[in-house]
Amino acid sequence: MTISVETTRGGYAERSRWTSAAPSRPGALYLLCWFCGSVLLAFLVIPLVALATHQSGQDLVEAAGMADVRSAIALSIEGAFLSAALAALAGVPLAYVLARTAFPGKGLIAALIDLPLAVPHTVAGIALFLVFGRQGVLGEPLQALVGLKFWGTVAGIVVAMLFVSAPYTVNAARIGFEAVDPRLEKIARTLGLGPWRTFLRITLPLAWRSIMTGVTLTFARSISEFGAVVILVYYPMTAPVMIYELFLRFGLEQAAAAAVLLLIVSLALFVLLRTLAQRGAPATGGR
Amino acid sequence: MSDAVAVEALSLTLGAFRLKKIDFALARGEILIILGPNGSGKSVTLETIAGFHRPDAGRIVVAGRDVTALPPERRKIGFVVQNFGLFPHLSVAQNVAIGERGHHAGRVHNKDLLSYFGIDHLANRAPADLSAGEKQRVALARALASAPDLFMFDEPFSALDAETRTQLRAELKTFLRALAIPAIFVTHDHDEAMALGDTVIVLRDGGVMQRGSVAEIFNKPSNSFVARFVGVENILPARVVARLSNLLTCAVDRQIVYATPPAGVLPEGAAKLAIRAEHITVSPVPAALGAARTRNTLECRVKALRVLGPLATVEVECGFLLKAYLLSPQVQAMGLAEGNLVEVQIPPDAIHVMAE
Amino acid sequence: MKFPARLCLALFCCITFVSTTSIAQAAEPQTLTIYAAGTLAVPFRQLNALFEKNNAGVTVQAQFGGSVMMAKRITDLHQDADLLAVADYSVIPKYMFANPAHAAWYAGFARNAITFVYTDKSKYANEINAQNWYRILARPGVEIGRSNPDTDPSGYQTVQMLNLAEKFYNTPGLEQSVLANAPLANTRDTETSLISALQLGQIDYLAIYRSDALQHHLKFLDLPTKINLSEPAEAAFYKDGVAHTKNGELSGKPIVYAVTMLNGSKNAALAEKYVAMLLGPDGQAVMKSNGFGDFSPPYAVHIDAMPAELKQLVKPWPGS
Repeated sequence: MTISVETTRGGYAERSRWTSAAPSRPGALYLLCWFCGSVLLAFLVIPLVALATHQSGQDLVEAAGMADVRSAIALSIEGAFLSAALAALAGVPLAYVLARTAFPGKGLIAALIDLPLAVPHTVAGIALFLVFGRQGVLGEPLQALVGLKFWGTVAGIVVAMLFVSAPYTVNAARIGFEAVDPRLEKIARTLGLGPWRTFLRITLPLAWRSIMTGVTLTFARSISEFGAVVILVYYPMTAPVMIYELFLRFGLEQAAAAAVLLLIVSLALFVLLRTLAQRGAPATGGR
Repeated sequence: MSDAVAVEALSLTLGAFRLKKIDFALARGEILIILGPNGSGKSVTLETIAGFHRPDAGRIVVAGRDVTALPPERRKIGFVVQNFGLFPHLSVAQNVAIGERGHHAGRVHNKDLLSYFGIDHLANRAPADLSAGEKQRVALARALASAPDLFMFDEPFSALDAETRTQLRAELKTFLRALAIPAIFVTHDHDEAMALGDTVIVLRDGGVMQRGSVAEIFNKPSNSFVARFVGVENILPARVVARLSNLLTCAVDRQIVYATPPAGVLPEGAAKLAIRAEHITVSPVPAALGAARTRNTLECRVKALRVLGPLATVEVECGFLLKAYLLSPQVQAMGLAEGNLVEVQIPPDAIHVMAE
Repeated sequence: MKFPARLCLALFCCITFVSTTSIAQAAEPQTLTIYAAGTLAVPFRQLNALFEKNNAGVTVQAQFGGSVMMAKRITDLHQDADLLAVADYSVIPKYMFANPAHAAWYAGFARNAITFVYTDKSKYANEINAQNWYRILARPGVEIGRSNPDTDPSGYQTVQMLNLAEKFYNTPGLEQSVLANAPLANTRDTETSLISALQLGQIDYLAIYRSDALQHHLKFLDLPTKINLSEPAEAAFYKDGVAHTKNGELSGKPIVYAVTMLNGSKNAALAEKYVAMLLGPDGQAVMKSNGFGDFSPPYAVHIDAMPAELKQLVKPWPGS
């Protein structure tokens, strides 16, 4: 077995190919890791499999046939996509600043970015409602000036999704930028690349995989968000809201079928995003 | 002839560290070594010249242009760092092409650069797959592609083994001479400085300790710190007693030695003597007493003798300790052993007198 | 001696039977099980406490949920209960009178009205009253909240009320113009979750029950009895108010909360006492204090099937 080790910390990518005396007799540490890992993997996978096999293919086809289930899933994807895009547009620059500059209060800002993850979702929804509602501090002027409403609109969905999931993009992008040796950026500058070209041609490609991981997490988190979304926007229904309503009205079967549909669509999208991450990553960046 | 590069009174405060009035100049094709221990400000100096720190005072002139206020990308300075800093996500050709002015895509316009450095067969390779020597050439080609007026090297060889280091050093010197572009090379290794440089600046705590040619720095260090740093083996406390027609009389312990006075201010009273080991001659005590003795002939006893392959280090004692070198065959021929009496001769111009 | 032996055996069995049953009865504390509509949770908890206070050794266990769901638990799931109280009186004849019969009568003990609640922050709050409300609610820029007519009674009752209002005020298009200000975005499955939206100014007016308005201390409109579905005597007029929903066309009915005793109940005497309290002055006072409309006296259907004590407390349902 060949293990390629690539380090980007402190230096830049230096791949040393270790051909390990392959675990013909796997050590105890290796086995322990696999054991613990398998337990966790099983814990995560078994409920999903149970959910998936709970209904027949017929149920799934039926659920897929319901127009409002389809539109709920489409709306979730649309909202999650916008949320991930906004997180990338605003979060990546923030991550770059946090990675490269030192300033008083930096630790506090980094902690603040993590805060939405700790806020209970309903509370987050209420907080956003207070700000973006019709009489909210931002909601009122935005509605008056540009006619932008958040109650019962896609904008409201995106706002709720973004709030709970943006930290993932910022943190992952920050780690990605921190792993890019600042000396490489300096060298690029001496070669005649201005700050922008340096960022676009050197920093961003090297941090790309981390950024995409963060964006994927943001996307995933956005799709599944319920508590924050439902306060601002019940109609039009995103998939989690629809599944909840199906459960209340009809029971487990219909809800599970719609949920599995959502999972299948989400899985396909994640695979797509991962592929995008690999493609954009430097060819020599290794796996 | 105007200097190709001039740094005048460069001062900088970086947190707790301060660069104090760095001054030097370089002619075209000259290689300047900045030598100093870790933390002395060598890298900071380079980075300031490159434009990554704004100096508090001073000027930086490159190829006749005052670049002090310019951003790094406009200074036309090539920068090579430890492990060469190749962009890992770009191929060799793309690395080299990135510095080309006015080009957007990654095609190398000047294929001549690649062939000049003998790396055109590596054009599509990834940097991680290259040997150190190949990396150096790519780094040089890349820096050269942006048509620099000055090259700067920040300890590029420190992570390499001795043999590779020597080889690359030689190659680099050849390239730099051929290109005739001025270069500043930073290192903490005095052997490297000696091998590579024309001029040397010794830095300590952000200030210039001494500036001069390689020969000057190594044979006539201005103080004990520089002497120690450049590997002077014998630094002895002494007292300047008198000046006798172009010779200084110095008392070292109970001995008197004569030294050629140094240029500049003559030290008086307490002083230090710097004597390089290779200038000290060791021979067996002459059988005939009363034979003619040259200046600075001392009778000493061998305190320690270490034979390491072809070279032997001898420590002799004559009121004070002296270290000298001998070739192993010599040791054998002399039948040298610890405790022997030997005669030690030091030419006066090999003794360099320093104020501290 | 055959005869004495048989007699002894029979006596022995009787005594054993009686003693065991009486022991069993004496050993168990008496529990009264009530299934009730969710909106009755607050007043019924108060009534249960009162009942337990007045009847030592008695525990009242109440479960709350949707009226139809609670009825189905008795008819389909065969769960045991002593009393059933629903938010829509028609649930009892529809589910409980059918074959097999689980109940024989019902009595209406409280009523409610559909109204609109608002706050000082609401648009035109200082202008609106019981006469001009439909014109104000139709003005552009007014945001109205309501519950989903497809899933929630107050939702379709609101629509029915607007439909009746159109006829009452002789203003064609009234229903559409008001509903235009109550888009899907302002709809929830139950109206109570919109109360915070009202209090925070996201919506100006919320269609809700009068009991909720009083419980939350919100301003509300006193809509005419002829349209607010509160008076059983107006049932004929209410029938003309129609709501088009996914479950079909629903005609307006008075909002009356009804109670019945279940046929299989093992605690008939206790259940009867509870109903007596509910229909009597104590029960009426509790319902009134919680914002429900009272009946004095309550109406009932199939009075002959009712226990004697209860018969005296009720009057025949108008129009039945």
